[in-house]
Amino acid sequence: MPELTSEKHPGRVAAVLRELLVPVVSVAIAVIIGSIIMLIAGFDPIAAYSAMLKGAFGGGRQIGETLLRSTPLIFTGLAVAYGFRAGLFNIGAEGQLFMGGLSAAFLGIALAGLPQPLNIVIMIVGGAAIGAAWAFIPALLKAKVGAHEVITTMMFSYIARYLVSWLVTGPLKAEGQIPQTERLPVESTLPKLHEMFAFLVPSRVHLGFIVAVLIAMVVWWVLKYTALGYESRAVGLNPWASETGGISVSATTIKALCISGALAGLAGVTEVMGVHFRLFDQFSAGFGFTGIAVALLAKNNPIGVIPAAILFGALSAGGGTMQLEADVPQKVILIIQALIIFLVAAEQISRWILGQTVRRGVEDAG
Amino acid sequence: MLGDILTPDLFASAIRMATPIALAAIGGTICERSGVVNIALEGMMLFGAFMAVVGTTFTGSPWIGLVVGVVSGMALAAIHAFASITLRTDQVVSGTAINILALGLTGFLMEVIFGRPGTTDPVPRLTPVFNFGGPTDGVWDWINTIVFSYTPIVYMAIIIAVVGQWALFRTRWGLRLRALGEHPRAADTVGISVIRGRYSAVIVSGALGGLAGANLTLEQVGSFTEGMTNGRGFIALAANIFGRWTPAGSYLASLLFGFADALQIKMQLFRDVVAIPSQFFLMLPYVLTVIVLAGVMGRAVAPAAIGKPYEKG
Repeated sequence: MPELTSEKHPGRVAAVLRELLVPVVSVAIAVIIGSIIMLIAGFDPIAAYSAMLKGAFGGGRQIGETLLRSTPLIFTGLAVAYGFRAGLFNIGAEGQLFMGGLSAAFLGIALAGLPQPLNIVIMIVGGAAIGAAWAFIPALLKAKVGAHEVITTMMFSYIARYLVSWLVTGPLKAEGQIPQTERLPVESTLPKLHEMFAFLVPSRVHLGFIVAVLIAMVVWWVLKYTALGYESRAVGLNPWASETGGISVSATTIKALCISGALAGLAGVTEVMGVHFRLFDQFSAGFGFTGIAVALLAKNNPIGVIPAAILFGALSAGGGTMQLEADVPQKVILIIQALIIFLVAAEQISRWILGQTVRRGVEDAG
Repeated sequence: MLGDILTPDLFASAIRMATPIALAAIGGTICERSGVVNIALEGMMLFGAFMAVVGTTFTGSPWIGLVVGVVSGMALAAIHAFASITLRTDQVVSGTAINILALGLTGFLMEVIFGRPGTTDPVPRLTPVFNFGGPTDGVWDWINTIVFSYTPIVYMAIIIAVVGQWALFRTRWGLRLRALGEHPRAADTVGISVIRGRYSAVIVSGALGGLAGANLTLEQVGSFTEGMTNGRGFIALAANIFGRWTPAGSYLASLLFGFADALQIKMQLFRDVVAIPSQFFLMLPYVLTVIVLAGVMGRAVAPAAIGKPYEKG
């Protein structure tokens, strides 16, 4: 990022560092509280965190696994972040993700035999469209009658889950005992990165990760440089002023929540196309909810979503190793995640702790 | 067939199913009347449900379990209160963090205490308050089933709705609470402590959320399963809105959701007769919630200062 090192803006580096301070301190405090909880429960936090680090970054395969798990989180993080920028809380990203996965499982079979690049494009567009459609009714209700999107998108999440549960046990069920859809043909899947780039160590990470990073850049650009993004941000900052300034708050609300839904839908698409190659009840490990933590940690900055998602991807990839080697239940990750949300949201806590340390440091030096 | 569906048991089941939603909805009413949004009711209910089972497991007494469940709900509520009132964090974000914390804590403690994920061992339940017997058909059966068949928390919920309604609109406490949510600055000016009032409202809502959870585990199911609240905390918020931010209204609105739930369970028994997949019945309460919100929001008016942190100044 050239602008960070540009000498014309000596204040820029300091400003960016200051922005990074709260998230970094928040994660550190959450990790410390996590250790205390582990200690109380009778576990060894050092063993736990070192197993986690090993599982997340111990080698090429592990790093690949971390990136694989961060892929859906980039999408859901972007979804929640875009909503937040427009003053909307899309807590139902999980449901839009389910619908995206459903569309991929359906289209992937329907498009069998066509060229892979074409299928990838159609399935991505299709998943985004259905994710947007799933957010449309909550968006409409928010814009027209003021029904709170936190409740409606959440309800649509449950509806989506039961819909998928019905489809995978009934109409779309593959042969056999397990309730799941048929395996996608290879031309409807996303290739693994090591298959595309020979210099990479074999791992499960797939093209979806690169798509996610590109989409994050697109979202950043849309928010910063387009009229659509400008209107979304304006409504998020002050709906009354926006309305007075000639922006239709209800139209912008509908567009923003649908864009958010489309982004969440993509998480379902890449999970089906790149990881499971089929759809079943439990194909999402709560990515829609983790997306909330990702967005908050990134302070709703689309580029910041990438490292934030990688952090949570690492927690998830390392969690298995932690449970296996240090015997600590993986659920502790959810606790750490909740703590990070608290600490980032209540940023005074970090600033206060930091203020204390800096003051003490100054006193020591003096 | 309609006669097979519309049995006294269906209506009794509706009242039982409405109970956790109603308790949480009344909690939501009290919290939002004070000006604090509480989307963490889901988490408080989940944590209360789990801790009620833990308390019962260790003491053998579901009554002690009930108390543990209520206190646990209050503990999570205290965190929400601290974050949203003292630190002035965004209340919806703080609520989300509480919900995720509850999922994590219950899952983590489950493996620590019971040694496995999923479902806990069964615990002794709270038993029905009355046991009259008598003929199992005719008018007495209807009265006995619909009025006298319930466990303690079901009756508590009804009492809380009635007392809550009276207290909110007929006592000084209620007037002060409503003032906090409508015009905190004015309340402050006349000497009501906004901070203390909001803290107590949030903690009371946590107690009700915990009690709702205890009802799920100690009366309805008899064990705890991860994530078992299944969105009831969110449905409760819709019930609170549908009930126009009043305790009695919240209770009555919850009956609607309870009935949808009871009907859903009943219809599963008729799976062979009615060729509708069970998932569609399971969707019913959630669809109903959306319809309710779509229909009433335009007319219902939320407390004016809802969601806004108060800064003395």
